[in-house]
Amino acid sequence: MLAYAIRRIVTGAIMLVVMSFVTFALFFASPIDPADFSCGKNCSEAQKKETAAALGYDDNFLDQWRDFAVGVVAGRDFPDDPELRKTAPETIAHCPAPCLGYSTERSSTVTGLIKETFPVSLSLAVAAFVLWMLGGILFGVLAALKRGTFIDRGVVGLSLVAYAFPTFFVGLLLYKFVAIQWELVPLPRYTPIAEGGVGGWLASLILPALTLAAFFMAAYVRMTRSYVIESFNEDYVRTARAKGLPERTVTFKHALRAALTPIVTMAGLDLAGLLGGAIITESVFNYPGLGKLAVLANSDFDLPTLVGLVLLLATFVIVANIIVDLLYAVIDPRVRLG
Amino acid sequence: MALKKPLAALAATALAATLAACGGGSSDDNDGGSSGGKPEKGGNAIFFVGPRTVEHWDPQRMYIGRDLNNAGRLFYRSLVAFPASNDPEEGTTPIPDLATDTGTTEDGGKTWQFTVRDDVKWEDGQPITCEDFKYGASRNFATDVIIGGPANYLFTYLDIPKGDDDLPAYKGPYSKKGQELFDKAVTCEGQTITYRFKKPWPDFPQSIASLRFMDPYRADLDKGDANNFVIISNGPYKLEGEWKEGTGGKFVRNENWDPSTDPIRKAYPDTWDFREGDTDEAIYEQLLSDSGDAQYAVTERRLPPALFDRKDEAGDRYTQVESPYVDYVVPNFNSPVFKDPNCREALKLATDKSAWIKAGGGEEYFKPAYSIVNPNVPGYTENPSFADIPDEGDIEGAKAALEKCPAPKPVKIKFTYSGGTPTSDKQASALKAGWDKAGFQTELDPLEDTYYAVIQKPDADFDVTWGGWGADWPSIGTVIPPLFDSRINLTGDSNGNDYGNYRGGPEVDKMIDDAYAEPDLDAAAEKWAAVDAKLGEDIAYIPLEITIFNFLHGSKVTGYANNVSVNGYADLAVLGVEN
Amino acid sequence: MTIPGSELEINETGAPVEDDDAVVKVAGRSPTQLAIARFRSDRLSMISFGFSVIIVICAILAPILVALDVLHPNELNQDLLADTGVAPQGAFGGVSWDHPFGVEPSTGRDLLSRLMLAITWSLGIALTATLLTVTIGVILGIISGFSGGFVDAVVGRIIDLTLSFPQTMMLLALSAPAVLFIRSNVAEIPGLGALQDRDLAGGAYVIVILAVFGWPPVARVVRSQVLSLREREFIEAARLLGASRPRLYFKEVLPNVWAPVLVYVTLLVPAYISAEAAFNFLGVGIRPPTPTLGNILADSVSYTSADPTYFFLPGVLLALIVVVFNLVGDGARDALDPKSHR
Repeated sequence: MLAYAIRRIVTGAIMLVVMSFVTFALFFASPIDPADFSCGKNCSEAQKKETAAALGYDDNFLDQWRDFAVGVVAGRDFPDDPELRKTAPETIAHCPAPCLGYSTERSSTVTGLIKETFPVSLSLAVAAFVLWMLGGILFGVLAALKRGTFIDRGVVGLSLVAYAFPTFFVGLLLYKFVAIQWELVPLPRYTPIAEGGVGGWLASLILPALTLAAFFMAAYVRMTRSYVIESFNEDYVRTARAKGLPERTVTFKHALRAALTPIVTMAGLDLAGLLGGAIITESVFNYPGLGKLAVLANSDFDLPTLVGLVLLLATFVIVANIIVDLLYAVIDPRVRLG
Repeated sequence: MALKKPLAALAATALAATLAACGGGSSDDNDGGSSGGKPEKGGNAIFFVGPRTVEHWDPQRMYIGRDLNNAGRLFYRSLVAFPASNDPEEGTTPIPDLATDTGTTEDGGKTWQFTVRDDVKWEDGQPITCEDFKYGASRNFATDVIIGGPANYLFTYLDIPKGDDDLPAYKGPYSKKGQELFDKAVTCEGQTITYRFKKPWPDFPQSIASLRFMDPYRADLDKGDANNFVIISNGPYKLEGEWKEGTGGKFVRNENWDPSTDPIRKAYPDTWDFREGDTDEAIYEQLLSDSGDAQYAVTERRLPPALFDRKDEAGDRYTQVESPYVDYVVPNFNSPVFKDPNCREALKLATDKSAWIKAGGGEEYFKPAYSIVNPNVPGYTENPSFADIPDEGDIEGAKAALEKCPAPKPVKIKFTYSGGTPTSDKQASALKAGWDKAGFQTELDPLEDTYYAVIQKPDADFDVTWGGWGADWPSIGTVIPPLFDSRINLTGDSNGNDYGNYRGGPEVDKMIDDAYAEPDLDAAAEKWAAVDAKLGEDIAYIPLEITIFNFLHGSKVTGYANNVSVNGYADLAVLGVEN
Repeated sequence: MTIPGSELEINETGAPVEDDDAVVKVAGRSPTQLAIARFRSDRLSMISFGFSVIIVICAILAPILVALDVLHPNELNQDLLADTGVAPQGAFGGVSWDHPFGVEPSTGRDLLSRLMLAITWSLGIALTATLLTVTIGVILGIISGFSGGFVDAVVGRIIDLTLSFPQTMMLLALSAPAVLFIRSNVAEIPGLGALQDRDLAGGAYVIVILAVFGWPPVARVVRSQVLSLREREFIEAARLLGASRPRLYFKEVLPNVWAPVLVYVTLLVPAYISAEAAFNFLGVGIRPPTPTLGNILADSVSYTSADPTYFFLPGVLLALIVVVFNLVGDGARDALDPKSHR
């Protein structure tokens, strides 16, 4: 078991390294000169060259990647200029390990930026998760139980429609109508617990969490429904029924339990993906999470932040996959021996 | 159309803008008068920054009008500043702020002297000294760290020779290379600071009041790039905690600011809450419904055209101001098509200003322009090359001119522009429709992140683009030369702001130098008009329109004024909020 | 999922009969025919299929109609706008005989023309991306499943790697340089000159990203199919008879793998249409003034109060298209595997 775990973790780490390399290649081997964006309006060619040197963009990407990799392990200084260290050491920003880079556009270490924005994305992801799991499983079971009836068709139909509308459309609809025109909720603005207490924080999450959850809920309704129906056809359910168990026990204790395994697996992976920020939802509602940061970093070509974010998101996904694999290994011995 | 960052930083200062100038501006409370009663101390005010977040709070790096104005009213004082007034004369004439007077020059502007007051302090109680001003100016030269500001003005004027790399030989206070050169050009004797320039700079005080690059700075608190969002205040407010990029920050009273030393800033609200990131629609929906926090809010963002029909819901909370900005079309003189004057003539005649205006929101949003100079800049005259063309263009004339154009018909042209908003694309389509009617075949090429990187290359393969500009301070000398003087723009790999790669040649160069050197303002204005006329003859640009601002503010805001002294934006120096 | 294979052919022979005419031969139907029959009998699937055909026809017709000057997606009609020059005159966003869906605010362009052309672009991108995704996925899945060992492991690692990348972020961050790269460098490859066009380059970029991140699930499904087929007798037989690898892959394995792939295809298309709209909202892909469903939607959100028709029509249309294709996909899945349920 331990050997399997170690193997998976090592594989994951190697993958992260490879991914960082690929990311650097993609970003820094591009024909666009990132220094153009950092320099500003009245920038002469000479100034642009200086900017490029200061930001390290004039090294080839292998060197840049090497500096980055070293920084992750050992920390890094920006700018890494020995002369400057002598004449004006207070202008050098130190980025402690694990250093994911320094953003000059935002004048902050990437880790610093992540520390500020991650709680927002986390709140949003968890809130959406709770909503879609509750709604998805409940309605899915309901539809499965009432299979073929009007209720079933209604639920499936509605979820199909909810699945079809793009998230940004749903978000904007909710924003314009629920918040602004009908004034059913206060205008969405992220409120950390420190400011508004738990109540304020939750209230500020309603609309974006609903937007995010709509799409997943639709998918999970259908998934739950089909897994539950499938397990209804299984022998052990037939046996349970034959034994005379009440329908409620059959449904929840037997059929749903079997269906839950794949559902929870998927949900876990989906949640891990969302931890990296829901780009569209955060943009629509202007919530300062990782997704919004990604959009801002993209619009001013803030490469260090983009690289840091890509790797952070990849880490979430890889870790989630490892956790799932390990759980399966515990449940199913064939996996770890295979 | 909001001018695109990072280059659309136009600290368009004090233009003698009259409010609601163009005919329709009905609102009576428009002329900078109070709205909502007399302001009093207290209350918490809100500023909606909007989607275009603050890039720099470092004074030497700021170049966006909104931020320059707000900073100047709330926490950054300088030697001189503009009083809070909407009078065209008064609002654009600097008065002493941290200095004892508006500066003295004995030699027509080649040397300037200011004496710093003795009774002014930083937010931590330290006195503001002449050295602080010297240090602030020196930071402009650290061009590898202090990026983004209008330092070029200082490089052009301050008496420091150029190095081999085409940049000044002084490299700033961090590396201290060439420090002795700087120490000769800017000197301190007691509290008196002397600036020595290579050539006369008669309106130097204007630049101090309009931009922040001459602001004082604390050497002992300087952390270079890490200070980008750090505010070391000497004004009525200071930053509480940290500025969060994308979210904003809160400003509270600065106890070390002495109101008796400050004739300009009234500092009525107790706090200022700057909020970033909301879309224009979100901001204006809140302002229209005047709900919650929006009652205490002002903004620099403009009412979106789609919501304009509802402005009556806001009653007298709505104001309309003519902005300092002019938009214009630029033919690329390096393009095989537009190096020929007949082709340019055809383009000029085929340009449909009214379609462009309608596509951007209509006549409440734009007013047709007949020169690149904004009518409110002193010395403005209509450019004779553009004055007589109908706003819809002259298609027949254009077709005739196009016949003489040597390019094969239909004339294929590529219109590269800064896109990314649905409005900019609609406007581009409007121009294309007009041009195509005359016989061009326009390919639309909207660029976003890469726009400036592309068009600033002299060998870029576009034929025409559009730009926007506003005077950095009330002088045509901050409009025409920055855009069309090939000597400062066309440098090797880049065309600077002269996107059309226009070369006036020795004749135009001399006209520009003459205008600069003319000490009498009226005579100078005539000389500038002559330069503009020549630009018109050469069709270096085709004027489109002057942007009109449509603003709303919250109902609990008192003393709201769109002052000329802050380019027509809300003047934070004099407004208050009810408790 | 049942595997279409020859042993499902049912040949029933009745008892010996004396009268030739009276013999009723019960001919077996191939699994494909069975599937089609099942599909046909499902009313919802047939209706959806009908709609999807209409949509595809619209998509094909639109550029032709534009060339024939019947549709005018780019013609400004600013005279149809109200005084302020923003919202269209008239009810429902300016609906009239000339403009059955009304006109666009600020420009007055005909909305019906723009929407039809938008369908062409959106569907074109989605279909091409699907084709590319499936091609890559099938090829790699077959090779990986068949070869096993090292090749399989490598492909598996590549799949893991691809799935770990955050797709939307990469798409956003790379769009500016990648499109520039396509327009300048890729377009220089002879035959690909059309890629200089900004729209085609943007579309190509979206297609590539969708395919690059979309192929792993397809490959996995195909691979597992192949793994179960690998040891079947007909494969062994073909191999013994000396069939070359490619022949094995394409003539023996592929026909038995198409069913789950087909289901994937019908589900990928609406997913890609939706994705393309979302990317447009973020500013990637085909930019205005070229109409795509995403572009029009992104613009329309500003006009919810000024011109609600302009807001609702494109949104409902997009949802309709996605729903219709999803239903076709569901129908196909049910038809191919009756054990899976509705």
